Amino acid sequence: MTEPVPAAGGGYALPVFPYRRPAELQGERRRHKVAVVGGGLSGLTAACDLAGRGIPVVLVDEDDTVGVRGASSRGIVYAQKTLEIFDRLGIYPRIAEKGVTWSVGKVLADDDVLYSFDAARGSLSKQPPFINLQQFYIEWYLVDRLMELPAAELRWRNRVTGIALHEDHAALAVETPDGAYTLEAEWVIDASGLASRIRGALGARMTAEQGEDRWCISDVRFKKPLPAERWTWAKAAFNDGRAVWQHPMADGVWRLDYQMGPNADPQLIADPETVRDRLRRHLGTSEVEIVWVGPYGYRTQLMEHFRQGRVFFVGDVAHVMNPFGARGGNSGVQDAENIAWKLAAVLRGAAPEALLDSYDEERRAAGAHNIHVTTRTIRFLAPRSPFEHRFRDAVLDLARRYPFARALVNTGRLSVPFEYRASSLTTGGGGAVPNLPITLPDGGDGALSDLLRGDGASFLVLCFPGVAAPELPAGLARCFACNGAIGGLPVIRGAALKRIGSAGEVLVIRPDQHLAARLVNPAASAVRAALDKALGKEIAR
Amino acid sequence: MKTDPNIPDADGFYEAIIAANEGLSDAESDAFLLRFALLLANEIGDQQLLLEAIRTARELVAGAAGSR
Repeated sequence: MTEPVPAAGGGYALPVFPYRRPAELQGERRRHKVAVVGGGLSGLTAACDLAGRGIPVVLVDEDDTVGVRGASSRGIVYAQKTLEIFDRLGIYPRIAEKGVTWSVGKVLADDDVLYSFDAARGSLSKQPPFINLQQFYIEWYLVDRLMELPAAELRWRNRVTGIALHEDHAALAVETPDGAYTLEAEWVIDASGLASRIRGALGARMTAEQGEDRWCISDVRFKKPLPAERWTWAKAAFNDGRAVWQHPMADGVWRLDYQMGPNADPQLIADPETVRDRLRRHLGTSEVEIVWVGPYGYRTQLMEHFRQGRVFFVGDVAHVMNPFGARGGNSGVQDAENIAWKLAAVLRGAAPEALLDSYDEERRAAGAHNIHVTTRTIRFLAPRSPFEHRFRDAVLDLARRYPFARALVNTGRLSVPFEYRASSLTTGGGGAVPNLPITLPDGGDGALSDLLRGDGASFLVLCFPGVAAPELPAGLARCFACNGAIGGLPVIRGAALKRIGSAGEVLVIRPDQHLAARLVNPAASAVRAALDKALGKEIAR
Repeated sequence: MKTDPNIPDADGFYEAIIAANEGLSDAESDAFLLRFALLLANEIGDQQLLLEAIRTARELVAGAAGSR
């Protein structure tokens, strides 16, 4: 594969993937297990996760490349949980090599640094808190990985125009350069973005709100050396007292994002001379290479139900929010992981179909939460009344002197995994277990995610010293002893294991590395009950 | 939330607030009150109590939030 570089005159040179005439247009009748619609971040992750678990999956995309044609990178910040998922999917090393690893953020008001944080402090994961990388690179790596997986089929230039739901399958109407055909699949994952035709065709309900706040991104390169940190100005004199973001990403490109006046005209704020002037005021230099300029507003959308019959909605189809906190893309990846293991478990006969209902329960709650969190941020950055403005400025004023007020300064609460505490699948816990570095049973260096790779949707049962080895049905869970022999269980070792469990405890960890149960000196039946609950067997009753 | 007298020297407190706002414009007094409220909120540090005080103050001014 050739590495793309920012092309002269803006944008990037993107790969083109080959269109092939689908089997259905060659006279074959097929009934696919799972169809994924949309080759963006969420769809590719879902396909990659399913195929990696040995589930046959076909992905259709109306385009034949990654990214958004003519546009640039969209998301740039990938948070720890997302990186852990990519580690399990096998593309993490390429992301780490290409992207900018960072953990320090600074929050400023004009020339004052109000506070800084280091997200690496206290981190237990093998992956760093954040890597910044243009979204299309991640998509590209996922495509490359999918092409290695025999269970995956990629269909480029296949545009879905409609859907019909049947008792035992869904029928997608698809258009290709060779004509139209019907794609039949037992299950459909709709990851076709915020204007999904499938969602429209099904008449699925959602709430939507369009704000007046306007921003303008400039992705640029320049010679002036700046630290690889996330800087956010709650207000900046060089941007007429409005907010500014400064983020590094791959290829020496920086994302500079400027808040504009309410309802600002997109054409005016993206005018080349205006953009150059803005950059000069910010960077103090005119030697800036503009890679891409994108004026934008944002909307809030949330579907009422993330599942409709045989269709699951993931990513921007299901939820749209403002970008401050990097919660859109990261939660889309986590949607994908959530539905992938559940579909794999059901298709392998390890779980009842009722497990699939928990996708809506868990991920809609996550979507609603992320919208709540990002809306609070925008209320801080774009006060809606003179009072809100004065109150916000009082907070910024106090934050210059007193630590307590810094906690009130909200320039984005960065993406963290949602806790499934209230989920029907959770016996106790629900939070994401960090991807602890461990010594594997064979003595090699690894991480918890290494124990979760492979076919099916296997749970992890971690036994801490003093418990009896639980006897569990084969194929359902992989059992390990932590830091010392227990019966004949394979042993994993690592100082960090003590941070997640203590002597006498058994942890039941889901295939998405969320904690399903923390049990103290349990009988084997209690471990089995927690596993059954996490597989949706209580929902089925 | 305490509504019985709890300020040790009520007249002294009142006097101090008035004195602190002496010579300030309305805009400056408004800024004063915002900062005063934020300092006290952190001092109290009890979420339920703060929410109750917010609710009570709103009701005193214009009825419950969302009622107009």
